[in-house]
Amino acid sequence: MMKHYFEQLENGLKSAIDGGKASPRKHYSLEIARLGKRLYSGEDRVAWCGITTPFDLLNAMDITSCFVEFIGAMLASTGVAGDFIEEADQIGYSSDSCSYHRAVMGAAVKGMMPTPEFLIGTTSPCSGGLAVLENLAHRFAKPLFVLHVPQDESGKNVRYLADQIRNMARFVSDATGASLDSGRLRAAMEHTNRARDIMTEVYDLAKQVPSPVTGKDLSNFGIVMALFLGTEAAERIARAYLEEFRRRAEAASRNASGEKFRLLWIQNRIQFKNPLESMLADDFQATVVIDELNDITWEPIDTDNIYEGLAKRSISIPFNGAIENRVTHLQKLAREYRIDGAINPCNWGCRQGTGSRGLIEDGLRQIGVPVLNLEVDCIDSRKFTEGQFKTRIEAFFEMADAKKGNVY
Amino acid sequence: MEKTKWIGFACSYTPLAVIHAAGFTPYRVLPDDKSPDQAGRILHDNLCPHVKRILDRAAAGNLPELEAMLIMNSCDAMRRLYDAWQKTCPQIPAILVDLPVTSSQNAIDFFRDQLERVTGVLENLGDTGINPERIENSIALYNEMAGYFSQLREKNRRGGMKNGAVVLQGLYNRASVEPPEEMIAELAGLLSEPDENLSSDALPVYLFGNVLTDPAAFSLFESCGARIIAEDMCTGSRLFTEIPLEATGDFLADYAGGLLGRRPCARTFDASEPGLLGRVIVEAAKHNGACGVIGYTVKFCDPYVARLPEIRDALKHEGLPFLFLEGDCTMNTIGQQKTRIEAFIEMLR
Ligand code: SF4
Ligand code: SF4
Repeated sequence: MMKHYFEQLENGLKSAIDGGKASPRKHYSLEIARLGKRLYSGEDRVAWCGITTPFDLLNAMDITSCFVEFIGAMLASTGVAGDFIEEADQIGYSSDSCSYHRAVMGAAVKGMMPTPEFLIGTTSPCSGGLAVLENLAHRFAKPLFVLHVPQDESGKNVRYLADQIRNMARFVSDATGASLDSGRLRAAMEHTNRARDIMTEVYDLAKQVPSPVTGKDLSNFGIVMALFLGTEAAERIARAYLEEFRRRAEAASRNASGEKFRLLWIQNRIQFKNPLESMLADDFQATVVIDELNDITWEPIDTDNIYEGLAKRSISIPFNGAIENRVTHLQKLAREYRIDGAINPCNWGCRQGTGSRGLIEDGLRQIGVPVLNLEVDCIDSRKFTEGQFKTRIEAFFEMADAKKGNVY
Repeated sequence: MEKTKWIGFACSYTPLAVIHAAGFTPYRVLPDDKSPDQAGRILHDNLCPHVKRILDRAAAGNLPELEAMLIMNSCDAMRRLYDAWQKTCPQIPAILVDLPVTSSQNAIDFFRDQLERVTGVLENLGDTGINPERIENSIALYNEMAGYFSQLREKNRRGGMKNGAVVLQGLYNRASVEPPEEMIAELAGLLSEPDENLSSDALPVYLFGNVLTDPAAFSLFESCGARIIAEDMCTGSRLFTEIPLEATGDFLADYAGGLLGRRPCARTFDASEPGLLGRVIVEAAKHNGACGVIGYTVKFCDPYVARLPEIRDALKHEGLPFLFLEGDCTMNTIGQQKTRIEAFIEMLR
């Protein structure tokens, strides 16, 4: 089913692009379709991983890999996550745990997750994510490697993680027989650094007022791009966005903009089809100009010191460490993007993100940015009630409207 | 008399001996239901009641005068407790200690460095210099206490202690907040008492999970016909097991390895043996002669919640009946499950 779905998706997107209907989002989705197809091809060496795994290193070893939450999001976007969540609940998963993980476990039980050659768990961002990888390793009876991502760069933390990543490369070699060629690794990092540069430009353009970003242009972008780092695909996607945003920024300087509210989206988007984004745009002229994870928080990888660079990058993700880091990062984004308000979909089951809702709200309020907390399950559409959201969103914009102009 | 200086803690991976060596008495902030619910204002409803009740105590000032609060980075909830603690009671500094999830050699080395950092922080907080001898002595002291506890557990297992599990829980609670020297004398006294000659038709049950502190909960199990012959709980035996010292000459390294090498709870595991926790529980239940297993965890505990299906499978595979209870650290929620516990014990007969 999944293989067929990704094949169809790839074909559809390819013909649209070839037929002159290209858009950056289509290029992005095309690469996702290709990755999905490879994951389900039965031919590639597959690894299931945690979110902060250095995917560029795995790409350099020809391993087709992704974080398991990606599958949860895919199932939600295709409208079938509910069945898999139910399956996980049947085998004893608590409905209080993150539904990204329940969907993935349900998919594994139903045989919808290809058997990997190995798995890599990461302690960041969440305890639930690590647990699900341990469970999958047990279920598939495949080797598991764990990366303990320290809370910050202090002391010997970077070296500690760099050593683990080195060991990880050895573990992958042992598990698959694939060797890590130093030339290929260096070339992968060069791809990573070029993609990083282009993405930085894309984000800089997104900061403009009015922003060239519309609707769902960049939803899930930062987190999913990590999967393509180390390959040409990452550069290709980033470049498509850069060209389009340049064009739009140019046009916007000539045309009046309908952008009334600029929004910051905290954590992940709601992954199933829902009317929120269009409601924001149509009813309130509000645009999500920045998602929390759409930022470059790391320096270019020093190709003479690759493992340390990868370690620093994993440590730098805003979900890692104390909430202070995360709030500081959100405040930085709010200022740089001249944000009028923030939306926090508090995914039920996420202790990492939702657990700190109050602290995030306080931190943004300190700089005059109101936050709309939505009680939502980002994966399970069965719990979504549009009416309830609508009332809350209306009230939020009324308040934000009254405030606007006094924010900075 | 010299004033006791307390360092708060909340997790059984806490390096008690380091705290002690620095001249402090470790004080476990046990969750209770005596402080009004204020944590909900800062922490989301979906966080485990263990951390929320700890925060409630801090917010209500329902604590002795702590010099600092040492928080192990054991899970998302504990990390959020660290964040919220700083907001709620900034007058008590919080120290976050990073805790690896495995006990590989480089994880042990890393944890050793964390312990060294804690040593420095505590030295600055107090007025006692920590040297290797002090650490060795403190480890030995806690090992002595753990040794007494393990003998008491054995006494309970062979049926030599009236209301053994209830008594033990009361002792664990006190040993979590009182100076070890005082507890050791009391434990030794208890051990010297002859075994009681008890006969009962209660059924031997093994208990595992995280936070269950109220001895009344153990009375409840007994009143339902269960005899808790052994347990593996965060607020039970797990804090009081001996840590063997290797002859490496680096006590912090030995201690780090010893702490990480303890019987794993749900947040620590062996990457080379995924699913080990279920097997560990099965072995412990069988080894202790249990005819059934009760799991008790607080709600929203991701490490346990995620491992339960595997634990359930492992127990089922061995034909060990299993009852899972979920609660909020209070007697209230466990009391409501009395009928289920009774039915489970009946089913075991
Ligand atoms: S939503 Fe939260 S718990 Fe779920 S995968 Fe993301 S960080 Fe982890
Ligand atoms: S009970 Fe579970 S979630 Fe709560 S602090 Fe302990 S390990 Fe973490």
